[in-house]
Amino acid sequence: MNFLTLLARNLWNGPSTEAFPFGPAVTPKRFRGKIAFDAPSCEGCKICERVCPAGAIRFTKTADGLGFSCWHDTCVFCGNCEFYCPTKSVHQTTDWHLSHTQAEKYSMVESGLIPNQVCVECGATALDTAPSVAAVKPPMSAEEVADLRGRCPKCRAKFLKARRAKS
Amino acid sequence: MNIISDLKKVATKSPWLYRINGGSCNGCDVELATTACIPRYDVERLGCQYCGSPRHADIVLITGPLTAHVKDAVLRLWEEIPEPKVTVAVGVCPISGGIFRESYAVCAPIDQYLPVDVNIPGCPPRPQAIIEGIAKAIEIWREKL
Repeated sequence: MNFLTLLARNLWNGPSTEAFPFGPAVTPKRFRGKIAFDAPSCEGCKICERVCPAGAIRFTKTADGLGFSCWHDTCVFCGNCEFYCPTKSVHQTTDWHLSHTQAEKYSMVESGLIPNQVCVECGATALDTAPSVAAVKPPMSAEEVADLRGRCPKCRAKFLKARRAKS
Repeated sequence: MNIISDLKKVATKSPWLYRINGGSCNGCDVELATTACIPRYDVERLGCQYCGSPRHADIVLITGPLTAHVKDAVLRLWEEIPEPKVTVAVGVCPISGGIFRESYAVCAPIDQYLPVDVNIPGCPPRPQAIIEGIAKAIEIWREKL
């Protein structure tokens, strides 16, 4: 009688085929898909470029700042960049709609730019990266982080040294 | 001429797939088998069917980074597929070489030897992504026919 219950269940549940491409497809929440880059939260440490096994992530110095690019056609979606990124500004999305025609091959790039800024203290031109404050003790307030962000690396170091001396 | 146009109309309903393994790690091949054989994905809904001979094929799926060892065999097989054909590169290896990109034993990317029409990146691409790519390939194939 087993087959009868199976038959009844099949009739009740309907087909097990997913509707895709005629309907939406189910994607797991933690699916490792396309890489996304959030430039404002990047610290500019370039660890993602170093750990990328496929060489998909590249940083290039331009006149405007530091350019980030990730070519999805050579990315193997291993998640190393997200794992090592201290601020998770490089992260994986659940987007997997990557198939494309040959004409679009070299435009499958996620790009971002960390712009240059002028240091509020010394006036030198430096990258507007997010300050790395995770290990600073006592923890910094949002105003202090914003203040630190406007400075160049040397002035940031001075700022932190003065802060340590104060506390 | 009428018969030929009628035949074309019939043929567009069922493009046959042919799979070439160009030195792949079998990850993409497993996903291709999954796409075809598991009822959950079922690529045959699009009228596609895997065929055993390259001479019957309309859409050719190439996986793997085209190792130096199989390069000639893959190119010979590809030549055997009748025109019009649509070439689909499955996985990052045939598209760019992926993690094997600088190896001495690998001839990737394949678009320097064959005209590729559709790329499906992923390591491996998930079955739905392959179905999406095959749907694109079918569109191109209909235009070519």
